[in-house]
Amino acid sequence: MTSVLPSPTPVAERVYDELVDILGEANVLVDRPARYNRTRVPSPFPVHRWNDHVPDVVVLPESTEQVVEIVKLANRTKTPIVPRAAGTGLADGAVPLRHGILLDVKRMNRIWDLDTQNYTVNVGPGVNMLKLNEFLQPHGLFYPDNPASYPCSMVGGRIGTSGWSLIGARYGHTKDLVLSMEVVLPTGEVIEVGSGGGRKLRKASTALTLKELFFGHQGTLGITTNATLSLHPRPEAEFAAFFAYPDYDTAYRSCGALSKSGLASMAGVVLFDERKLDYLRRDDEAYIEQPSDVVAVNAVALYGTEDEVVPAARRILQIGYDTGGRYLGDEVSQGDWAARHDRYAIPLHGRLREGAGGPAVGRAGQVVPMSWHCEDAAINYTELPAVREKWHAIADRYIERYGIFDDWGMFAYTNGSHSPYGDYLVEIDIGIWEQELNDENWAAWTACKKEIAQVAIDHGGSITACHGATRAGEVDLVPQELGGAFEVMKSIKRMLDPNNIMNPGKYLFDQAYEGAP
Amino acid sequence: MIGFRLSAQRRLPDARRIKHDVIMRFDHVYEVDPDLMQVYPQQEIPPWDTHRIVDSKWDHLDWMHQHFADRVVSAKELGLDPKYLGDDARESNGH
Repeated sequence: MTSVLPSPTPVAERVYDELVDILGEANVLVDRPARYNRTRVPSPFPVHRWNDHVPDVVVLPESTEQVVEIVKLANRTKTPIVPRAAGTGLADGAVPLRHGILLDVKRMNRIWDLDTQNYTVNVGPGVNMLKLNEFLQPHGLFYPDNPASYPCSMVGGRIGTSGWSLIGARYGHTKDLVLSMEVVLPTGEVIEVGSGGGRKLRKASTALTLKELFFGHQGTLGITTNATLSLHPRPEAEFAAFFAYPDYDTAYRSCGALSKSGLASMAGVVLFDERKLDYLRRDDEAYIEQPSDVVAVNAVALYGTEDEVVPAARRILQIGYDTGGRYLGDEVSQGDWAARHDRYAIPLHGRLREGAGGPAVGRAGQVVPMSWHCEDAAINYTELPAVREKWHAIADRYIERYGIFDDWGMFAYTNGSHSPYGDYLVEIDIGIWEQELNDENWAAWTACKKEIAQVAIDHGGSITACHGATRAGEVDLVPQELGGAFEVMKSIKRMLDPNNIMNPGKYLFDQAYEGAP
Repeated sequence: MIGFRLSAQRRLPDARRIKHDVIMRFDHVYEVDPDLMQVYPQQEIPPWDTHRIVDSKWDHLDWMHQHFADRVVSAKELGLDPKYLGDDARESNGH
């Protein structure tokens, strides 16, 4: 070892010198702030067990060649390696379960090639969508991957989680928008996956399509080091409409009618339930005042050319009115929609419920800081009312018993790429007072999540539409949801990652190595 | 500068009660009842900083709109019967 480590661990001692040879000392971090700040993501985290997850060493590569050398070193020394982009995920894909090397891609943030003829751009995984669109705007182009973390998340993380876009009903989601990518496999080989062999193709049929295998793997199958993205003409016009309803059932039926309008400029419909409005009113710092008689809301967003959007906007206002909605006005509609692109700038807090147990006793109504659990099941339209009732009932039970949780209400977003109907990204948002976590409360929380996920499966849905199902509790249900397909996934994992170094422990993939020599 | 800030901070207007758990000191600026912020006490913010934060919110939202489209279409410009304009129609009728 040539350098003195501020806080060395045995693993860091073992790999540090070689990492410095690959990256230079400035790009190999072993100090406590660098490692502890890359331990968690915004999703609820067992803060009382923080040390169980701290990486041994953080590396900041700038090139594919450096990533290859780091991965080969990890594979040779059987050192766990966890890729991380912006660390904004609401599942815990970027949280190390076995310490090891944390590979942060933030310095792989170059925009390599803009093709204004074929409407593509080639970027590193550390590029953020907001900054990319600022680069594209003078060219009249637009990259429409639009999560609620739009100003801070990165292309690499969007691929690793198979992200969902607020405007995916019009433009598609991350898996539709990434045309091809370069992936460093766990043994250090570099492959390119896309549609066929071309890097800029939107459709091909040559042999098997491997591209989607590398979406949503949460860093268990490789590291994306470069991606070619599909661009769109920058929209001339946007129209957002928020409708108010006197009850959930009317809003639910209206949501169905709005989403089935057949308008090509339809980018999404969002249904807010009564508990969501209650939360927004009491604790959401981005809230724009709505009349007190509003019980449920639908939000609609349209994008396209002005010739598309203006007549479509007239149609949407008519459908909303005809199905029992009241337009909430331009200020609420435009302002609230703009705030949807950025939910990460807001301090999160919730309330302690009256009559709840645990630390809530004697503190009813008090405001406390909370982290954000976003259950994000994919559910068919016909199942939404039943799932809503069951999820709130589960949350109520845990809130009342443990006193550290808060029900922040439910959304249902149109979920399909280019098809704003049929299935929805359905969220129940639950606040967790993390400072009160201990082993008992954490076990209760994971049991709560498991119950919630089970409801999604029971209703023919999926545990997750966008964040990934890696979180403790719900991950136990992944084999149940996927059936025989999960066995194939384990075979693929073991074939690509024979030493189980890539984000080990995630997705129950350790099962792939049971009984292995 | 510090003296200005400290003096401004002392001139907080009286609170009006909006709901059982909400008060208002400035129009359209809702605050949690300070009695409900005993576990984690409310940060002291002078009036000038409250106004700065509230005003910059709309600047931020306008800035965000500009990332997604050249212009934002308003319902009022669509030439529709007022019944479709909901709360905007009520406002223009003086309700």
